[in-house]
Amino acid sequence: MNALKLHKKLEENNALLIFGILLVSSLGGLVQVLPSVYQESLRTPEANTRPYSALELAGRDIYISEGCSTCHSQQIRSLVAEVERYGPYSRAGEFVYDRPFLWGSKRTGPDLHRVGGKYSDDWHRIHLVDPRSVVPTSIMPGYPWLAEKDLRSDDIQAKLRGLRSLGHPYSDEEIENAPAQLEGRKQIDALIAYLQMLGTGFVEPESGAGDSSE
Amino acid sequence: MSSEMTTQPQYYHDEIVKRLVQFSVAWAVLAMAAGVFVAAELLWPTLDMGQPWLSFGRLRPLHTNGIIFGFGVSALMATAFYSVQRTSHVPLFAPKLAWFLCYAWQLLVLSGGLSLLAGMNTTKEYAELEWPFDIAIALLWVSFGIVFFGTISRRKIRPIYISNWFYGALIIVIAMLHIVNNLELPVTWTKSYSLYAGAQDAIVQWWYGHNAVGFLLTGGFLGMLYYFLPKHAGRPIWSYKLSVVAFWAFTYSYIWAGPHHLHYNAIPEWVQSLGMVMSLVLLAPSWATLINGVMTVSSAWEKLKTDPALKFIVLSLAFYGLATFEGPMMAIRSVNVVSHFTDWTIGHVHSGALGWNAMITYGTFYYLMPRLVGTELYSKRLANVHFWLALAGTMLYIIAMWAAGVSQGLLWLSLDETGELAFGFRDIMSSMAPYYGLRLLAGLIFLGGTLLMAYNFYMTTRSRKTVKVEPPVVDPAFGVV
Amino acid sequence: MEEKISRYLLFRTLYEPKITFEVLAETDPSAWRVFSSYSVWLLLLPPLFSWIGAYNFGWRLGASEPLVLTPATLTLISIAYFLTLLFGFYSTAVISRWMASTYGASSSFGRHVALITIVGQPLALASVAHLFPNVFFNVVVMIPVMIWSMYLLYTGIPVALQTPPERGMLMASSLVGWLLVAAVSLLGLTMGLWAAGFGPALGV
Repeated sequence: MNALKLHKKLEENNALLIFGILLVSSLGGLVQVLPSVYQESLRTPEANTRPYSALELAGRDIYISEGCSTCHSQQIRSLVAEVERYGPYSRAGEFVYDRPFLWGSKRTGPDLHRVGGKYSDDWHRIHLVDPRSVVPTSIMPGYPWLAEKDLRSDDIQAKLRGLRSLGHPYSDEEIENAPAQLEGRKQIDALIAYLQMLGTGFVEPESGAGDSSE
Repeated sequence: MSSEMTTQPQYYHDEIVKRLVQFSVAWAVLAMAAGVFVAAELLWPTLDMGQPWLSFGRLRPLHTNGIIFGFGVSALMATAFYSVQRTSHVPLFAPKLAWFLCYAWQLLVLSGGLSLLAGMNTTKEYAELEWPFDIAIALLWVSFGIVFFGTISRRKIRPIYISNWFYGALIIVIAMLHIVNNLELPVTWTKSYSLYAGAQDAIVQWWYGHNAVGFLLTGGFLGMLYYFLPKHAGRPIWSYKLSVVAFWAFTYSYIWAGPHHLHYNAIPEWVQSLGMVMSLVLLAPSWATLINGVMTVSSAWEKLKTDPALKFIVLSLAFYGLATFEGPMMAIRSVNVVSHFTDWTIGHVHSGALGWNAMITYGTFYYLMPRLVGTELYSKRLANVHFWLALAGTMLYIIAMWAAGVSQGLLWLSLDETGELAFGFRDIMSSMAPYYGLRLLAGLIFLGGTLLMAYNFYMTTRSRKTVKVEPPVVDPAFGVV
Repeated sequence: MEEKISRYLLFRTLYEPKITFEVLAETDPSAWRVFSSYSVWLLLLPPLFSWIGAYNFGWRLGASEPLVLTPATLTLISIAYFLTLLFGFYSTAVISRWMASTYGASSSFGRHVALITIVGQPLALASVAHLFPNVFFNVVVMIPVMIWSMYLLYTGIPVALQTPPERGMLMASSLVGWLLVAAVSLLGLTMGLWAAGFGPALGV
């Protein structure tokens, strides 16, 4: 039967129309999304990439909760100018423990994927509370409450266990000791710990020929 | 129930339509005010006064969620319920469920918004609400489907009218997208971890994110267009065949376009390229609908004399054309290399959100509200002023963001003669301030127009009851289901 | 009558647009005459001003020192600018004439050329702002001028092309739709060309 006749059939049958829409709209996702589930390169960690420690995880969750991704990306594109400005471009294997991903979609502030080790802890401490005291032209909001609020340690074990069930290799010992790592700390300590490890999971190839595009 | 049907007259359930329109307008004002505030924060970052709940990172998702789920979905529910009844010639199926949905949805948006301010945030765009809200959304959305498709299954006319295919696609596809993208493992009452990680999560998120735009902001509102434009213009849609082709091509191709949000990112290149090609293919069904709309309204020009609201629909089509052309263009890698991560993307979003979504909704509401209460619009003059404010606000927003976005993108990539970066990031972003100022002005103008509309509707509906309308008797020639 | 339209009356639109449109409605000027004696000179103004401004002051993007380019590069840019304006002008007139039958408007090509010239004239004259090539300054100057141009478009079409006001409004809106698409295509095309190497050095 020709296409218009087929449509007319669907047009007069509620159930067929629903099914037809579902079928037609699911094809794209099946082709584009499903393979990523099985693609090894997207699930294999890069050289030094490891799961987040308890403190880093707590910091990452603060990054998420405060909406830092709204202004900061964590994805260095494979472009000459970006590699010059931020460092080696981002590899898929660096993000295998990122739930959710934090690549971002807007840069109101600089990309942070390789910010780890670029600034001292003290610089971050001052900058997070009042960005304009170190960068006068900055439009970043301040986060003074992070320096005042205590870090919660009562949910970290549930978080680590949850991640372990999703495949992150945490040992029983790590989970046991996790609350102790967080006790007595402020939220800002966790966030700084997270920021300082960003991008450290990638090792520059020995050849020194630079990064070839994939 | 059956005895009621034979002895008492049945009326369309229009009170719920009116209520949803009122909620939609309320959210428009609130969410746009939030937008204006965050736009101001980009100029004066200390506006948050050191309060976490006023911080940009928490307010931005409040703005986006308030617009999409508050303003947008309420408008879609209102117009879907109004039109599905009339195209099926029966009152709503399960009206009590519909009323529950109406109020529960508003409560969901409100409490969800407050949760964002409290820092309950998944940070996945347009899916920021955490897992308890995700479950609530899924349940309420199923209710929406039950009421909508239930009404269609009771219809007295055999063929299902085209606007219902688009509303139907809205319901079905958003359900699929929402459920799959929000699969997460709760670890506390307020926190969950995504089932997907890293690059895989990126692919799933933008399959969702792009098609939330596609089927909610585009598809659903096309349903609005296909019903209300012919009603408004007093003419049938210009070409039935074109609308059939456009619908199926649209439903098929939109889904593939997601990866254009991830050009040069750490996902397989074939996925990026496929996303780019299908984004270009998408241009055809989008513009097929545009042509249908333009030709329909062109033959109904005398109405413009007496109907200021039709002006909104006419311009919404122009901006629909712009946005659906600009999108595929920005999906091309060599354009995307400049536009990605910049304010150009924001400009593109708002040309669609302000120029297409808001304008067609406003035009439809101006048609609908007076009719719902059986009177004329309180002030045509105010509606005309609103039109010019909406147009001015939209144009100013777009131009400011084009200028800012293109500047940023190019300056970030600029190299000097020695191959070094030519400009520092801080200097580049500081130079954006004047454009952010223009954008703030644009937002204020647009919000001002919206407030005029809210006032106009308040005066129109004040102390008036919703009119009771009986479904007309159907000519048996059309075939009773 | 044709001479008047081409030279004297078109200038009159600056302070008496209504009368010019009414006179245009009664004539059928030669498209070539209008173009060669009036439109082309207006189209030359922006590339000329931008050359002079960029040569003397350098392009200011707000981010740092003014960007100074060689006269040869500036000439190439101005030529490309002129050709782009020419294409935009001609295509808009052609599309306007193509739409005319849908909206019951006159299909005299000369009238469409004259109308588009009148509508674009304020922008061409305002390009004197290019003498100070700061992006934001130009944006701020061009926006109100663009608003004025759009006003001329909406008031001019019904009168000059002799169609009822409502049909004129629809036709003007369709042309605005076309202009928006053309503008964004220009953005995209330029970005594509620059990313491919035809422009300043970009690290892609």
